[in-house]
Amino acid sequence: MLKAENSLGIIFFPAYDWAISPTHPEREERLLYTQDQLREEGLFDIEGIREYKPEVAETEDIERVHFCFPEAEAIATRSHYISTGGAIKAAELVMQGERDRAFALVRPPGHHAMKTVLGSRGFCAVNVEAIMCEHIREKYGQKRIAIIDTDCHHGDGTQDVYWHDPDTLFISMHQDGRTIFPGTGFPKDAGGPKALGKNINIPLPPGTSDAGFMMVMERIVMPILEDFKPDLIINSAGQDNHFTDPITNMNFSAQGYAALTKMLKPHIAVLEGGYAIQGALPYVNLGISLALAGVDYSHVCEPGWNPETLKESDEIMSYIETLCGSIPDIYFNPPEKSNEGIINGDWSVRHRNIFYDTEGFTESQTESLLLCNDCRGLLKVQTQKENGPMGFGIEIPIGACDKCRNTGYSILEEAQVKSKFRYMQMINRREKEYMRYGF
Amino acid sequence: MLLLGIDVGGTHTDAVALGPKGIEAQVKVATNHEDLLSSIKSALSEIVKTADPSRIKQLNLSTTLSTNAIVEGRFEDVGVIVSAGPGLDPHSFMICKDFHVIPGSLDHRGSETKQLNNLSLEEAISSCRKSGVQVYAAITKFSPRNPAHEKEMELAIGDNADFITLGHQITGRLNFPRRIATAYYNCAVWRVFNKFADAISGTLEEMGLGHIKVNILKADGGTMPLPLSRRVPVQSIFSGPAASVMGIIALCKITHDSIIYDIGGTTTDIAIFVGGTPLIEQEGINIGSHPTLVRALKVHSIGVGGDSAISILEGTVRVGPARLGPSIAFGGEIPTLTDALIWKDSCDCGNIGKSKAGFAAFASKIDLNPDELADKAIENAIDKIHDSTRELVEEINQQPVYTIHELLENRRIVPRKIYIMGGPAKAIKMDIFRKFRLSTEVPENYDVANAIGAALTRTTTEIELFADTERGVMFIPSLGYRENVPRTYDLEAAEKDAMNHLLAHLGEMRVAADGDNALITASSSFNMVNGDTTVGRNIRVKCQIKPGVVRTYS
Ligand SMILES: [Zn+2]
Ligand SMILES: [Zn+2]
Ligand SMILES: [Zn+2]
Repeated sequence: MLKAENSLGIIFFPAYDWAISPTHPEREERLLYTQDQLREEGLFDIEGIREYKPEVAETEDIERVHFCFPEAEAIATRSHYISTGGAIKAAELVMQGERDRAFALVRPPGHHAMKTVLGSRGFCAVNVEAIMCEHIREKYGQKRIAIIDTDCHHGDGTQDVYWHDPDTLFISMHQDGRTIFPGTGFPKDAGGPKALGKNINIPLPPGTSDAGFMMVMERIVMPILEDFKPDLIINSAGQDNHFTDPITNMNFSAQGYAALTKMLKPHIAVLEGGYAIQGALPYVNLGISLALAGVDYSHVCEPGWNPETLKESDEIMSYIETLCGSIPDIYFNPPEKSNEGIINGDWSVRHRNIFYDTEGFTESQTESLLLCNDCRGLLKVQTQKENGPMGFGIEIPIGACDKCRNTGYSILEEAQVKSKFRYMQMINRREKEYMRYGF
Repeated sequence: MLLLGIDVGGTHTDAVALGPKGIEAQVKVATNHEDLLSSIKSALSEIVKTADPSRIKQLNLSTTLSTNAIVEGRFEDVGVIVSAGPGLDPHSFMICKDFHVIPGSLDHRGSETKQLNNLSLEEAISSCRKSGVQVYAAITKFSPRNPAHEKEMELAIGDNADFITLGHQITGRLNFPRRIATAYYNCAVWRVFNKFADAISGTLEEMGLGHIKVNILKADGGTMPLPLSRRVPVQSIFSGPAASVMGIIALCKITHDSIIYDIGGTTTDIAIFVGGTPLIEQEGINIGSHPTLVRALKVHSIGVGGDSAISILEGTVRVGPARLGPSIAFGGEIPTLTDALIWKDSCDCGNIGKSKAGFAAFASKIDLNPDELADKAIENAIDKIHDSTRELVEEINQQPVYTIHELLENRRIVPRKIYIMGGPAKAIKMDIFRKFRLSTEVPENYDVANAIGAALTRTTTEIELFADTERGVMFIPSLGYRENVPRTYDLEAAEKDAMNHLLAHLGEMRVAADGDNALITASSSFNMVNGDTTVGRNIRVKCQIKPGVVRTYS
């Protein structure tokens, strides 16, 4: 009988009755063959590996993280509540000590959902990992968390949620934004003024394969992690770097994903993208599960896998080597000021237009952070969906000082009186008060 | 017309003859482990003394034969030939010494991704032949999606084998390591089971009972006709608890979510009913340390029974899990749960005086008032039963679901009633009731409930249908059935086909079409997309004759 070195909980929730549309890449069939493979391998008979049912997230879990306009229920479908609840279940298994590690094999994904949410972007509506992390912090106290995003697309949503948070290290490795959706994720984006160096982007050239990914792990990710000393390591385990993925251009393999997982040792992995539902997902998901559990994965490979033909060119390797030389510096010697936003009095302000590709509209947004010497600073957001009603959000962060906390409430009051906003939301992490106004 | 039920248990062999008005004959004889047939024979000859042989229509038999053969290692060597492809190292599942891994692979849709290597297949067979193997199991990964490689193996083994088990014949459910273990055990007990089946048929002929139909009990709370059981003897293992559970169904009208206890000498078996239906183990039962695909009722055993010894550990009174000889009432030395119940006048069995004296002496030795000792012992036993039950229900409620609908609509199991059987059932009934505060029932005839259960259990079967309209195929692995279907084939057609094949299969087994008890247990259809176009549908349907009894007595 096989026995897992680390006990592993798998929350498998394929949402067999939900899809964006019948032929959309993120559809019912997506985890079907993964389920077949895991069952046929007898994965859940391995001593120490157990399957669990997801929980259903509460609206409060979502509203603790996101400014949702008009409201969470209008944006997140039931499947989002369950996908998020699946990640929360994974976190609970680890936090309660029932399992050493957990893997939330759930859909739909979440890493393109930003701090403010008006609809769905890149198949994501709410940020599954962020909601999970803030659930952990709310219930188990402040933790230092590192989120490593290994999806092929830049985790722009997660970057945005944690842009101002010095206690969350976000590292995204992805196909270079000049060649793929969402077109962002460059090294210059090092974090907001209070969290500089805590946002690390590693854009990789198309065609990167196992050797390139492992070089990035060894020379960028692991040294930074070692210094950051997180209480928890989370892996946004997107699988669309696979050489057969229909919507990307990378050459990563199941063996590569498993080796990466073995090195990273995440406490919790949460499935993100990955749309080669027959040729990749069954093998990659098996490889990651075995690596998490510490069971031999050396026989896991895709039919027709040929490491020789997938190998990256010398140019690619030397380009990645250059990245490995420069990127760690962003963390170890962060820039003096953020590349985004201008200083306006006590506030750092940025204006942005955000495109929602799934629904085809643009949001215009002004986000301001009150620069405070005693805490992370008060955050406020004004937002509008193309000629739609205005929304207003204000967040008093974890560990806010009295001044920021009181300023937060007086700004909210002022906004209510002026009533130029149709929707308003207050996230008060200090007193755990979550309020919404408007209709 | 009479239905016979025989349950060959660890200690006793119980038999009943049931007529239209109830029990017409019942008998309990000691089980002779060296010669199970003789126990069955003597039970039968007792029965026919009162029951008219010409009225007997059917005999349902639950036997520990295969179980014992496996537990005691009395089975023959098997040549196990597997082919795996990518995934876990197949050598991790090496179940016996003649175990051979052949290169070749199929994927999850059943497409061949690598041809079977004929040369190494030949080598494997000749190596098995050299070690004198006469029965073979051939298992390939994903064979329920495409049995081609297993059939190639069967062809190559050919005349070398007296018997061959192919993995896909066991079930259409996926689980390669379990399929290996199940096929292996099926071969290992094949000869011993078939000899037993021959002997049963011979005995019945001798006794003038050649006309009756014989069924063998399975662990899933169903039966299979004797001729069929000869090919799948592994299905007869661990059918003992199933007989008891089916007995409760026959004796009581179960409609709510319920808990069933069968309290024996050394263990208590716990089973859970959802509404009127017993829960089935999701994957299959474990044989030794090997999980298999043998369907079984979900029965959880704990080490608390009438003969469980009372002990004191760090000032706490405990019952079980050890059995240190019989109760004092039956000549033992160390007080047991039964002795505690006797002290409290809940139980009237064995030598009461001796039991009470021994119990009091034990109590004074450890400076406890015997009343207090008895109360604490019973409380400890009830607590253990209670805690295990709660854990079991919680575990069942935690079982994974795969659709939003299931998750949001899924109702939790909330037991509303308790049924108890087995020796100490009556004695412990009130204590159980006080702990759970749930209606608690001990049926009449609880002492032969297992034989009644055996007699009335109906034939069950389960099939999986799988269709891939892109390829234009539909097949039912366990029946070895394969058919071409048009691209328009859909879920509705698949459900209809699955039901028809299930009933036809029963017909072949000479079981009257049991349409009322046939039901679809899982059914799904997935669009398969290539680029932006739907290229076909991947359809899966599971249906079964649900476990149950032909009629009830209450
Ligand atoms: Zn990414
Ligand atoms: Zn992606
Ligand atoms: Zn402050």
